[in-house]
Parts: sequence; structure tokens; C-alpha cells
Amino acid sequence: MSEARMASVECRGVSKSYGATVALEDVSISIGPGEVHALLGENGAGKSTLVKVLGGVVEPDRGTMSLTGEPYAPSSILGARRCGVAIAFQELSLLQNLTVAENLCLPKLPAAKAGLFSRGRTIEKASQILARFDLPLDPEEAVGRLSLPDRQRLEIVRAFSHGTRLLILDEPTASLSDVDWLFRLIENARKAGTAVLYISHRLAEVRSICSRATVLRNGRSIDTVDLAGADDNRIFEMMVGRSAKKTLSTHAGKPKSSGAVLSVSDLTTDILDSVSFELKEGEILGVAALEGQGQRDLFRSLVGLEKRRSGSISVDGKVADIRSPKGALASGRGMAFLPEERKTEGIFASLTTASNMTLPVVGNVASFGVVSRSRERDAAGETADVVDLARRYLPFRISDLSGGNQQKALLARTVMTGARILLLFDPTRGVDVGTKQSIYEAIRQFTEDGGSVLFYSSELPEITSLAQRCLVLYGGRIVEAFEGDAIEEQNLVGAMIGHREDSAASKGAYS
Amino acid sequence: MNQTTGNDGSATDTFAHVEDRRASSGIDRDLVNIVAVFALSAVLILCSRFVSPALGSWNQVLTILTLSSFLIVLSFGQGLVILVGGLDLSTPSLVVIGGVLATVYGSDGNAFYVLPIALCVCALIGLVNGAGVVILGIPPFIMTLASSIFVASAALGLTGGTPRGNSPEILAFLMKERWLGIPVVVYFVVLFAIVGWIVQSRTTLGRRLYAIGVNREAARIAGIDVGLTEAIPYAISAACAGFVGMMLVGYSDGATLRMGDSYLLPGIAAVVIGGSSILGGSGSFVGTVGGAILLTTLGTVISAIGLDQGYRTIIEGSIILVALVLLREDLFSGLRLRNRKA
Repeated sequence: MSEARMASVECRGVSKSYGATVALEDVSISIGPGEVHALLGENGAGKSTLVKVLGGVVEPDRGTMSLTGEPYAPSSILGARRCGVAIAFQELSLLQNLTVAENLCLPKLPAAKAGLFSRGRTIEKASQILARFDLPLDPEEAVGRLSLPDRQRLEIVRAFSHGTRLLILDEPTASLSDVDWLFRLIENARKAGTAVLYISHRLAEVRSICSRATVLRNGRSIDTVDLAGADDNRIFEMMVGRSAKKTLSTHAGKPKSSGAVLSVSDLTTDILDSVSFELKEGEILGVAALEGQGQRDLFRSLVGLEKRRSGSISVDGKVADIRSPKGALASGRGMAFLPEERKTEGIFASLTTASNMTLPVVGNVASFGVVSRSRERDAAGETADVVDLARRYLPFRISDLSGGNQQKALLARTVMTGARILLLFDPTRGVDVGTKQSIYEAIRQFTEDGGSVLFYSSELPEITSLAQRCLVLYGGRIVEAFEGDAIEEQNLVGAMIGHREDSAASKGAYS
Repeated sequence: MNQTTGNDGSATDTFAHVEDRRASSGIDRDLVNIVAVFALSAVLILCSRFVSPALGSWNQVLTILTLSSFLIVLSFGQGLVILVGGLDLSTPSLVVIGGVLATVYGSDGNAFYVLPIALCVCALIGLVNGAGVVILGIPPFIMTLASSIFVASAALGLTGGTPRGNSPEILAFLMKERWLGIPVVVYFVVLFAIVGWIVQSRTTLGRRLYAIGVNREAARIAGIDVGLTEAIPYAISAACAGFVGMMLVGYSDGATLRMGDSYLLPGIAAVVIGGSSILGGSGSFVGTVGGAILLTTLGTVISAIGLDQGYRTIIEGSIILVALVLLREDLFSGLRLRNRKA
């Protein structure tokens, strides 16, 4: 690939191994000034390592990098930042206990007298940054109290405020459902001549913002393509090394039985307002909503993690007073919850994958309190097959697995509990195409065997293809419910943005 | 650009192979730490021959094992508390109360029920610690420090300042007798180490404790009764400390109100030197046992040099510091972090 103009960022033959593990091998990529360049690949393809190499977090073993023609070899994240290279990390890197302003200004807080930092000037500087990037946050708010989407926006803004020559956005939309704001920012940066490296699993998004894409597979750069001239199948093929089998199949059949296994009536919390619905046996019920419309509260209050003000939850026809996830598992046929944040709410990083999976029911693979390793391995292995997780991963620490495999293990954990109702909150967040297919398959299989699934997804195509019925949340209320063929993106979007909220006809027309 | 041709099956296989090796190196890391602790102890004992020919003998090794039995028992409980991210500062007082209860109420005839009851009393005190931490949300070191003061005062009141009474025979038997030329307590401590290791690493309780220590929120979401489970280590720690008090009674035929003082920090240090993170969620009791033996060896060798107490403590402290820096878990977890998959 010949470059007529001088590349803004250029990597040649970059390799990086961790001990025996080859993370990157002979990777080359070049990004022109003002180009938005996509980096594609399955989880574990080496994207994050390349990001870390570019950002000065790790040093490559071999290879050269240059920035606007000058050699570039950052030794630290601050060194990279001095060269105008900044990253918005996928695993957000904000300090939770500090304020928005402090996070934006660190590491150099504006000084006051006597070597102290000036709170006023910190806030002033932060306010300017927030205003410049159109992010209406209170600079004095502690980051830990922000919602996940707001934290992600802050992470992005911080990167934009530092990255003048190269800006790396690693899955920036993982928890954003509104991408327009981000795209405006990217467009501005592009016009200013900043090179942008954009990493996302959402191909549609990549197509709308990026001009070229480099595909990584197994740590190697497979090719760089013009996105306009490459169709989805060609890209999938480069990513996975074979042609993508089938894309999402459309609606699964009707639920076999019509008995309600979970009925929720007038559930009210700090955010939810009289939410009522029923989940039937063998049914996949989707929840669609823009971010922050109460879906998180809905799932968490069902398993007792959020306080209920009023309303009742019945499992198998009996009112259940659920105060903890343990209680949810024990109610009727059992409800198991797959939480939103894999890292902080899901995995036990230093335990093996098998132990992570069996934990809620570890008593079942033990005699007299002593865990039998062989029984644990067998039980975990059986469930691993269900979610298409390779058995050889079971003895690894779960933190050594890629995000997609971690997610499969967590899904397996909910299946292992024996609960017949699964509450899955964004089960495919930040995972690659192949993993998504495995997760869909596992969900379908689970319901075909008589299980019931309530799931929220931030990706509408997932809901339209998986769900047999779909609830739309807006402002803490169910504003619409759709069934069968009526579940299509246009209908959902209309309801999600709330423009039908006031039409009386839509209320109470579900279940 | 780097166009990869050829069949993908072989590429995937290469990768699988690489990952398998990574898994085995994960086991090695923990092993290396444990082996290092035991090897250091052995080297220390051998080197001590240069200081004094009496050191480093078989008898010397048995003495060190006997002396380390206190620390091994104590640091088992402390290790479980640290595993769930807590810290137990009440151990010195519980050592005292265990010893005092054994001497004040125990005698040769009634030891078979007085000692178990005394241990239950200690466990109950520990459960109060756990309840304070879990239900009232008091930080562990404040809760245990406060209860430590209560318990120490109770011991003072119970004895009027000077503990009287002698060791029940069974405790003297445990600490002073030999069987086949080896002190009974050495058999005991080997058994204790095995049982302790099983409890921590192989039981459902242990598994849940690790889970809570690694990620409390995830443990709750996964359906573990975090509150109840988290209180248990405090009860175990208190019972262990109480038992150490009884062992000390058997060893020195009587209790004093200060006999627990010198065990607080070594009890914590043994856990950390043994490879557990002070933040919880990692480590193994085998490592802790090694840490306890290493610390005891160190103390014995240094006291044999014949320095003043002040210098002795400084040297001991410096060596513990160096050992902590060299052996701490963070060092390995730091490496692990860099080993993360892309």
C-alpha cells in the first residue's frame, strides 16, 4: 500500500510477546492526518496490545513507529501524551474517588501558592474543557457517582483534550447508545488534522465514521482495506479467517407454553414507575431502551440489589420477597442475573475459569464441604459446551481469557445455577461477532428447553432477532410492548425516544 | 501490508499451544513463592552454623518448628481474615484470654470440657468482631482494635492483674512431650497445616472466602451470602488466637497478661511473606506456614547472635521488610498484569 502523502502515524513490523504468548507479530499500520482509521478484529486479536504500544503503556519488542515523520518511541503514557497521543480506554481509566475536574486536569493540577493545587482554577480549566467538548457534567461531581455512560463520555473527553496528533478510541461506544455526540467530536478532530484510530465491534458504526480499516487476526495485521470497497462478509472473513456462517436468523418460534413464570406488578423504585409485565415459560422477552431509562434498576431490583418502594414480584405464581441475588436463585424455579459490568460485577479475576463458573453452586460439586476437582471440572465442562466455551480454558485464571470468553463463562455461571429464569443485562456487550453467535445460540437453546429469558440489549438488531416479545422502557415506565413481527427497529426506536409516550393507547397494552 | 496466507488451522493451533503454556506458568508463580519461603528458612538455618556451632543441628530445627507452631496457628486465622480483605488486630488480647481462661478455670481433671468451652468463648468474641464489620460496617481494624481493648480489660479484671494457676496437663503434654524423639506439637502442627490448607484451598467455604476477597460485589451478585460468610473468618481467627494462648500456657506453664503482644505483627507478616496480598483474595496457607517458619527462624538466629534487644529488633524488622518487598504478591500480580492477553 503506497502512501502518496506523509502518514501521520506509521507502525512498521511491530511485535510484542509476553513470555511465550505472542500478542503482536509484525504488525504494520499507517494513518494519515485527519483520517479516521478503524482497527478491527475479534477479541484477543491483539487490538488492545497495539493500542497499548501506541499509547506508551507497553514497549514493543521489535518494530518502529513514527509520528509525522519523526521517530516515536514513548516510554510511558505521559511520554505519549507529551507527543500528542492519547487513548480513551475500553476499561475506563478514571479515578473514581476524584472529581470530574481533577480527573480532567491530572496529572498536572493548576497550582496555587505553596505548592498546593488551586481548586478554583482546576474547576475553571475543567469547565472550559467540558464546554469545548459539549459535555454537560458538573466538574465538582465525584466520578464514582456518574452513570456508566457519563463516565465513558468523560474518558473520551479527557482523551480528546490531550490527543492532538493521534487519538485512540478503544470501544468508545460500548456503553453509549447515542453516538451523534461522539461523531461530532471525531469530525471536529478530523478537521483539525488529528489522526484517529477507532476500535469498535459495531461494523455499521465503523462504516459511518471511518474511511479505511486495518484488520488484525491472531496478532498479525491481515490487511488494510478501503471500507467503501469491502462488504461486510469480506471483512468478517478477514477477521475470523473463514466466511461468516450465518448472520442472525429471524424470530424464533412462539413460546410453547403460555404459563407465566415471572410476573411483576406495579414495581416501583427510585427510578422505576409502576412497571408490570409477565415472562412466560420458554419465552425470550427483550427490553429496549435508550441508556438510563431504568433498565438497570429493573434488572437489579428483580434480584434484590435495588430497593423496591412498592409493587410485587411473583415467581411461579407465588409472591417472592427477594432481597438478594441469593434469594432470587432460591425463589421458585430460580432467577439468575448476568450483570452489566463484566470486570467489576462479574469475574473473580484470580480464580480459575472453572471456579468462576461453579461458584454459586460450588456445594453441588463438594462432599462434606470439600470441593472435588474432578466433579467441578466435569460440571464446568458440560456447561462450557452449552455456551461454546473451549474446555481447555477452564483451568486458566479467568483474567487471562479474552473478554468474549469471560462473558461466555459468566453466562455459563448463570446457566449452572440451575435457575430456569435468566436475567441477562446486555449479554453481548463488547464481545466479538463469533462470541455473539455463541451467546445467541445458548439463549435459544435455554428457552427451547423450557427456560425463560429476560434480556436487555444496547443493540437493537439483537432484540429484533432474538426476542419474541419486547418491552420498551422510557423514563422508568414501560411505554410500549411489541410482539412477533412488530418487533422491528423502526417501531422500537420510535417508542424508545419517547415520542409515543403520551399516547394513551400504548399504556397497559402488554402482557 | 502483511497478508497472511496459508491455512488458519495451523495458526490457531500455534496459539492454543502458547496459551496452554501460559496456564502452567500461572501455577509456577505461586509455587515459586512458596518454595522461596521454605528455601530461605533452610538457608538461614544452615548459615546459622557459622554464628554458633550449636545452631543448625537437628535439635535446633525441632526447636524452631516448636516455636513456629504458635505463629502457624495464629496466622491461619489471620490469613482467613486477610483473605476477605480484613485485618484482625484483636489477636494479642485473644491469646491472653485463651491462656487466662485455661489457667484460671482449667485443671487436669476438667480440661476436656473447659478448653473447648474457652475456645467457643473466643470464637464468639470473634463473631462479634465479624458482626461489627458486616452489620455495622465498621472498618475491620477499628472494630478488632476496639474489641481487643475490651477483651484485654476483661482479662485484667478476671485475674486481678496477676494470672494464677498452672497449665492443665494436656497442654503441657502437647507442648513439652516427645514421641519417637520428635515433639508432639510438631506432629500437631503438621496436621494443622494440612487441615488448614484443605479448609482454605479445597472447601466450599474457602472458595467463597476467596471470591469475596477478590470481588465482594461480584460475589453478592453471584448469589453468595456475603454477610454471613464474611463473619466466619473473624470467629476462626479468634479461636486460633485463643488456642495459641493455651499453647503458650502449656509451653511456659502459666499465663501472663502480655504474652500475646509479640504475636500481632508477626502473625500478619507471616501471611504476607507467605505470598498473600494484604488486600485479600489471594495466597495459600502453605505459603503462610512457610512465612511463619521463616520469621521464627529469623528470630531464633538473631537472638543467638547475642546483640542487645534494641539492635535485634531493628535487624529483624529490616529483614522482614526486605522479605516483604521481595516476596510480596504484588510483585507477581504486577507481572501477571503485564501478561494480560491483548
